[in-house]
Amino acid sequence: MNPKGRPEGESAAKRAARRIVKLSRPSTWAGVATFVVLFAAWYVLTTLTQTIGSGRFPSPGETWEAFEQIALTGYADARLVAHVLHSVKLVLLGFAAATLVGVPLGLAMGASRSVEAFVNPAFLLIRPIPPLAWIPLAIVWLGLGDAAKVLIIWFAAFVPAVINSYSGVRTIEPYLIEAARMLGVPRRLFVREVLIPGALPMIFTGLRLSLQACWTTLVAGELIGAIAGLGHVLYQASLDIFPAMIVVGMAAVAITAAVMTIALGVVERRAMPWRSTR
Amino acid sequence: MSDIAFRDVTRVFQRDGTDFLTLDHISFDVRDREFVALVGPSGCGKTTCLRMAAGLEFPTSGTVSVGGKPVERPGPDRAVVFQQFALFPWKNVYENIDFGLRSKGMPEAARRERIARQVELMGLQGYESAYPHQLSGGMQQRVAIARSYVLDPDVLLMDEPFGALDAQTRVVMQEELIKLSRVNPRTVLFITHAVDEAVFLADRVAVMTRRPGRIREIVDVAKVREAEHWDRYERTEEVMDQESFVHLRTRIWRMLREQQPQEAALET
Repeated sequence: MNPKGRPEGESAAKRAARRIVKLSRPSTWAGVATFVVLFAAWYVLTTLTQTIGSGRFPSPGETWEAFEQIALTGYADARLVAHVLHSVKLVLLGFAAATLVGVPLGLAMGASRSVEAFVNPAFLLIRPIPPLAWIPLAIVWLGLGDAAKVLIIWFAAFVPAVINSYSGVRTIEPYLIEAARMLGVPRRLFVREVLIPGALPMIFTGLRLSLQACWTTLVAGELIGAIAGLGHVLYQASLDIFPAMIVVGMAAVAITAAVMTIALGVVERRAMPWRSTR
Repeated sequence: MSDIAFRDVTRVFQRDGTDFLTLDHISFDVRDREFVALVGPSGCGKTTCLRMAAGLEFPTSGTVSVGGKPVERPGPDRAVVFQQFALFPWKNVYENIDFGLRSKGMPEAARRERIARQVELMGLQGYESAYPHQLSGGMQQRVAIARSYVLDPDVLLMDEPFGALDAQTRVVMQEELIKLSRVNPRTVLFITHAVDEAVFLADRVAVMTRRPGRIREIVDVAKVREAEHWDRYERTEEVMDQESFVHLRTRIWRMLREQQPQEAALET
């Protein structure tokens, strides 16, 4: 590594080369191999030997047809793109609200004994309530519309955001806090340049858990009553006894959630440049 | 005037409901612009003394004052060089050195100039944008020292600053510290395990007893240094070869040795 350790100094060609090296790693191929084996087994069991009947689990062909149907002509009142966008919108709203409230609250609890004393008892009381148990109350308050779902998602994402931001502050090395005090760092600068960056690794751990919780509760919320969204697709497909469409819906949830997790990972690396130069 | 005065300082700390007496009625001074090294067996409360002067800990009874005022909180007038370097991992070398000056609200042009001077003094040129984890222990410690020096503090509190360095780097850093304190003498309280280092650097060496820590004796090195003209020699090893140096070192070693047997029993 050059003494300045600057990743910007690396040429685009070099970076591309490294990505190819990554692809040729044995572990990457092991993952691909698993997919190939699973797909082959799926094809053999459902199509060639027909051990599994299509009433239980669809064949690859049926799944592709269901995908074509929802993608091109639509299913459960909308096309796939519209369902995905609807779900993503709810997740992003709930996740953003949880982050905006949960992270500052967690940081404040970690930084101040008195905030901790006021908030922690209430927090400990509501924390064990499963997010899904809030669904009835959310429906009573806000009806079956999107607002109720955003509320539930917000709640599910809120708890990990608070807990991890809180322990992020608590895991900052005490001597770093002493060094800041010795340097006479004023309060605002301390929060911005010591507290937050020090807690950032844990904050992101919390956000990753939050995002996961968002998707879990979104699907559950949409199963109960919705006019659009991936959970709604799954619900409609179960009413129609349409296994292929159920599989398409599940795959859509998996892929969309994975894309959002990867995007969060990119944000994480951007936010902590001092870690990626290791 | 920025002397450090320990007056009848006692420090008790509690662990598992039991009281431990760490410091037992300690009184000593670091005079204005004097370099005092504190040596003693591990666990004797050396670091506690330094932390009390820094305002990071407080005496159970007695007073610690700097410049005649009791120490109430940490501040940039008493810069600490921590044993664990305590650099901010998310700040690069430049930003780490800059942090204290920014906190003071110094204008950017002045900061840049002062930082450049420290970077040069500490041999950190070319490493300004490196993060601490990319540097060796010796380089990290240079950054930590630069971060303290750049504040131009009245009092420097150094807690085994060279403890984590290899022998060669250590000697270089000691010589640099001597040079720096000739150019710009400050009040320094310096903690070390190494008797050589204490005698080489300090005007006076305060020898502590094992826990509960007391001051066993204060050895006046400056008197010998002046009488024997140690400053004729440029290099550490030449000074350390002087009979007067060896004599002082042996004397301090003996004092520390007296503590040893019980110290060993304490460790088990």
